[in-house]
Amino acid sequence: MRIFQSWRYPANWSIFRLDDRLLLILAAIIVGSCSGLASVVLNWALKAMFNWFHHLRHYWWIFVLPAIGAALSSLFLEKVVKEGAGHGVPEVIYSVSRYGGLLRFRSSFSRIISSALTIGSGGSAGPEAPVVISGASIGSNIAKYFSLNDRQRVTLVGCGAAGAISSIFNAPIAGMVFAIEVIIGEWKSVNIVPIAIASVVGTEISRILQGNQIPFSHRLFNISHMDILACVGLAVLTAAAAILLTRLLRSMDKIAKKLPAPLWIRAAIGGCAVGLIGLFLPEVLGKGYHVVQTTIEGNFSQGLAIVGLAMIAKIVATALTLGWGGSGGIFAPCLVIGCFAGLTYHHGLALLWPSVSWVNQGCFALLGMAGLISGMLQAPLTGIFLIVEITGGYEVILPLIIVSAITTSLCHYIEPAAYYMKELVEYGHLLRPGTDARVLSDLNVSELIEKDCIAVTQNMLLRDFINIVKKSHRNYFPVEDEETGHFMGIIHLDDIRQYLFNPVMYDTVFLGQIMNTRVDIVNPDDDLDDVIRKMDANRLFSMPVVVNNRFIGLISKGSLLDQYRRELMVQTSQSI
Amino acid sequence: MKMTIHEVAQCLNLHVITIERWIRQGRIPIQKTGNGYLFNESALKKWAKMYRLPFSMPEKVKSREYEEKPENLLSAMKRGGVLHDLKGDDMETALKSAVDHMPVLSKTSKKELYRLLLERERLTSTGIGKGVAIPHPRDPLSDAMNSPIISTCFLEKPIDFGAVDDRPVFVMFIFLSQSIKFHLHLLSRFSFCVRDSSFVEFLKTSPDETTFFAKIADFEKQLDRAET
Repeated sequence: MRIFQSWRYPANWSIFRLDDRLLLILAAIIVGSCSGLASVVLNWALKAMFNWFHHLRHYWWIFVLPAIGAALSSLFLEKVVKEGAGHGVPEVIYSVSRYGGLLRFRSSFSRIISSALTIGSGGSAGPEAPVVISGASIGSNIAKYFSLNDRQRVTLVGCGAAGAISSIFNAPIAGMVFAIEVIIGEWKSVNIVPIAIASVVGTEISRILQGNQIPFSHRLFNISHMDILACVGLAVLTAAAAILLTRLLRSMDKIAKKLPAPLWIRAAIGGCAVGLIGLFLPEVLGKGYHVVQTTIEGNFSQGLAIVGLAMIAKIVATALTLGWGGSGGIFAPCLVIGCFAGLTYHHGLALLWPSVSWVNQGCFALLGMAGLISGMLQAPLTGIFLIVEITGGYEVILPLIIVSAITTSLCHYIEPAAYYMKELVEYGHLLRPGTDARVLSDLNVSELIEKDCIAVTQNMLLRDFINIVKKSHRNYFPVEDEETGHFMGIIHLDDIRQYLFNPVMYDTVFLGQIMNTRVDIVNPDDDLDDVIRKMDANRLFSMPVVVNNRFIGLISKGSLLDQYRRELMVQTSQSI
Repeated sequence: MKMTIHEVAQCLNLHVITIERWIRQGRIPIQKTGNGYLFNESALKKWAKMYRLPFSMPEKVKSREYEEKPENLLSAMKRGGVLHDLKGDDMETALKSAVDHMPVLSKTSKKELYRLLLERERLTSTGIGKGVAIPHPRDPLSDAMNSPIISTCFLEKPIDFGAVDDRPVFVMFIFLSQSIKFHLHLLSRFSFCVRDSSFVEFLKTSPDETTFFAKIADFEKQLDRAET
């Protein structure tokens, strides 16, 4: 029995209680290998599905295949595991900012299955985001198993995401940077060390099982000064593409929501449309990495018009797949769109200045990918490191940085919130560590209540009240009903100051006459942000906290500042 | 020493809910194990110092509060004693003879007290009307005292004190306290007595020690009743 007990609570094993950091590193290794495995599994599933359906490609009815896949994935998510559609990264960020990284266990496999159905059948989406939520959920649940606290759990969620991205792209640095820049949003060594370890483990798992291969290998590029200059133009194009994709995804979502049909029918309609596009431009189907590979090698031989059309078509197909209820991420589509954007730009340049010897089209494709990833995620570092690692092309680092930086700032200028964060920002759910919103959301009203107020009754004489004032420490006195104890109103010392030294009033005025009955009250469950806004709007210094008509205490700006400052010190200090 | 989570909250002067949340979020070096909490006091103190949070034991705070509980009139008056038929033709001589006859004080403090009393009178008279004066030094004596003293001095004949109502003073209460806070406390209680005109009439009879103290004890009871 005792052995069983100790297995149930590994948190009590003495080896893990030696040092918190050691425990976190051990957990990071477990999380990294699990999320690495998850991404390998998804990769295999996608490959298998590609092989099954490949020989069907020449049939005319093939366009319904993405519809069936999207419908099945939507049905699976809605009916079987009861989770929302979409790629899941915002959910991870939301849980990290609000609930200390708590995620459901079923999230660790649900998105893998649904995205395998969507992408394997030809939907235009990527396998990366589903793997991210799986990894994050694995991390969260392992943290729960070890009964770790919120901060450690968030780190393990980041470890899961890092392991997943590292494993699926065979790119450890990109995984690490993605987890810190996008998921956690806090560069601290407590986070970085375990996440780095999880990245290494995740990458190693994928290398053992799938071999160490760079996804998009390429020839060496000779980049001239003109090419670097031309990057600025490319950045503008990629920014435009990223914004188009963001807007289209959102508007598709809105249109789909207006349709009075079950979710799976909507997904099927979207999938059908993608399938139709795929009949004419098969490049848009699936995750589309073979297109990227061909392009980077410089073997994509279509003309400017076709490439430009392919870019638009891929944007539309992605919006149709994801906006209408299919399941998958935007990483892979971004890479493909970026690739087409780079290609378009290269063809355009060659058309305008045929005399200049531009670098190979593969290089521009590569830069386009970096631009689109940075623009969509508004995470320049992730874009830079991802492209460097998946192409093994360190010699393009300079133009890469330029494109990433310019695209990120352009996108940020037009769309202030990144695609992943957009909804969270709209609902005020994006709470990055160390920000005002985070501190306020962590504090709650019941922590700030001051209970040393003396309650008075409405039938009390001013004379008795003045005796109470002598003993009190506060300027506010709640008035309660004598029989029921219900809160009637509040008296502020300022209200009676002018009568305080007038003995004639002492026996003639009842408190019921001078109390302020129209007061705004606070509930202990209220959001502190709302409470402060109410205080600011009405220029109040204190507000009574009332539950079920009973006065509980007072909340004042004075104690709020005290508590806020301590919270801020504890949350932001760099010393741990 | 074993500490509970509530004591930790008291030491940090924070709400227990805050401490519990910090534990959940992992911001404080306390671990939750099933049904209890695990922590090391010295590590906690180090942590508080690192984050510059005040950390003090609640016991100390309590004992200081106990020390500072102010005393009442009666005990201070008993310590100061009641002096009858003090000689003096004007304020200076009356004060001089009163200070000379005061018990408890050493010779040097008596000298200091007299000087301080005169200094205070020069600012404004301490004659508070109805023939009563309350001479007192503005600041506590340099010689540290443990408890306040009030000396009741009935004068041989009323003297001019420059009082607010210009009436001659027939009785003086010399207030000596170790701090301003105690002084104000005693003064407030005393003024409650003097407001009662029957008390002033009673004083005019220059009562002996026992009846006087009985009367004061009476007032104290009234005051305590009003306060609760």
